[in-house]
Amino acid sequence: MRRITIPIGPQHPLLKEPVSFLLDVEGEQVLDSVLRLGYVHRGIERLAQERSYVQIVHLVERVCGICSHVHTTTYCKAVESLMGLEVPERGVYLRALLCELERIHSHMLWLGVLAMNMGFDTVFMYAWRDREIVLDMMEDLSGGRVSHAVNVIGGVRIDLDEEQRKDMLARLAQLEQQVLRAKNVVEHERSLRARTEGIGILTPEQAKQYCVVGPVARASGLDMDLRRDMPHLPYSELDFEVITHDAGDVWARTLVRVLETVESVHLCRQILENLPDGPVSVRAKRRAPEGEAITRTEAPRGEVIYYVRGDGSESPARLKIRTPTLTTLITLPEQLRNVAVADVSVVLSGVDLCIACADR
Amino acid sequence: MTARKDSAIDPPHYESGAIKEQIVPALQTAFPDDILDVQTMPVDETVTVVRVEGVRQIIRHLVEELDVLHLSTITGQEIEEGIELLYHFWRGSGLTLRVVLPLDALEVATVTDIIPGAAFYEREIVEMLGVTFAGHQDPLRLFLPDDWDGPPPLRKERS
Repeated sequence: MRRITIPIGPQHPLLKEPVSFLLDVEGEQVLDSVLRLGYVHRGIERLAQERSYVQIVHLVERVCGICSHVHTTTYCKAVESLMGLEVPERGVYLRALLCELERIHSHMLWLGVLAMNMGFDTVFMYAWRDREIVLDMMEDLSGGRVSHAVNVIGGVRIDLDEEQRKDMLARLAQLEQQVLRAKNVVEHERSLRARTEGIGILTPEQAKQYCVVGPVARASGLDMDLRRDMPHLPYSELDFEVITHDAGDVWARTLVRVLETVESVHLCRQILENLPDGPVSVRAKRRAPEGEAITRTEAPRGEVIYYVRGDGSESPARLKIRTPTLTTLITLPEQLRNVAVADVSVVLSGVDLCIACADR
Repeated sequence: MTARKDSAIDPPHYESGAIKEQIVPALQTAFPDDILDVQTMPVDETVTVVRVEGVRQIIRHLVEELDVLHLSTITGQEIEEGIELLYHFWRGSGLTLRVVLPLDALEVATVTDIIPGAAFYEREIVEMLGVTFAGHQDPLRLFLPDDWDGPPPLRKERS
């Protein structure tokens, strides 16, 4: 049979962001694929060298349009350790609260995208309807649904009063019911399982070789989560499970993400119930001393790593960002090999691509 | 089939002191000439300064003998002495290998055959800083446009 090349992207109805896949296809089967990035490359790392430490908080918030808060958290932690600042405990807890709300938001958005790409519009609509609860909570906390601008170097700029705290707890209970319903659908709905089981397999060995992180790694049996593995507040004082699965297919990824959403709801509740009193931030200097710092944080898609080198001036000499999507993108040629053309959309959705993150 | 909460497959959540107490001393014993210095960096990162010629052997030893499998990323940056590469590994805490390439010899051996996951990180450094990774199978452009003909964008302009 004749081999043909099917281009998917850079502009394609299947993709929400521009990226290019060239699929080498024989009949219905994908034999190989070539990936090309850079269509939303904004040069954020280069731009950061010309901005002040305070301005960069807003710059890195725009690395990702879904998990914006985790980027500013990771950046602020790096700069705070360069400047020798200690964030007050209440500030640390509020940062983590928003991180967990963002994880719920990201995973529910992803469930909707996966369902839509496999033609299961009911799940898409329910998932996105229920995501509104968490978006409203974030809006009440910070004033923004997606870009929160909550972090400042030295802490956070928001605080909760008692009434807000009780209101958040009540809405969490409502959210939990909806998340458990989504979990029930993922576990038992037969058409969803039929489309995702055995598709896009990444074995534990491949996941290790490609240094994959986050839910994709955990669905391939790698038991890694920086919230537990790198003991830091508030996670060292909270009780949660790291969800893993050993099937390595799209269904395992779906299940891992949905169960993680349930864990995140528990985490939010624990944070709200154990919120320490006190200030939320400390005053930061404009300049960081000469030196380097590396921080790693567990974003919704896995490990985010920031490297900052200060040279004593008001802006860093180097800011390096590695987002988790870059680790999963590299495995797509393996996952797409021998997959039917009709399943390409499921495989591409399964890894939860964030191209803007990967391009920076 | 339900999701298991504890994986039987090789749990990579290691004890956090392993890098400092076991892995760095083991590297120093195995490569006394290639490891020039050991430093620390916040937050909880151990840095070993490595000779360019020894990088590949050290990374092979880390992966195959010492079970340090996770390469988080490679940072490249231009400093006074040349181009500095930082290989950030993770095993319970961070381990960074620091290598400096002089500006007149911007070449280092690839590690993509040992760690396939390094391919994108090396390609990014090729186009952003103009470093050559000897033996890289696919050093094509990843981020820059095909018709980009300027200098590598993360290099400083030197007259």
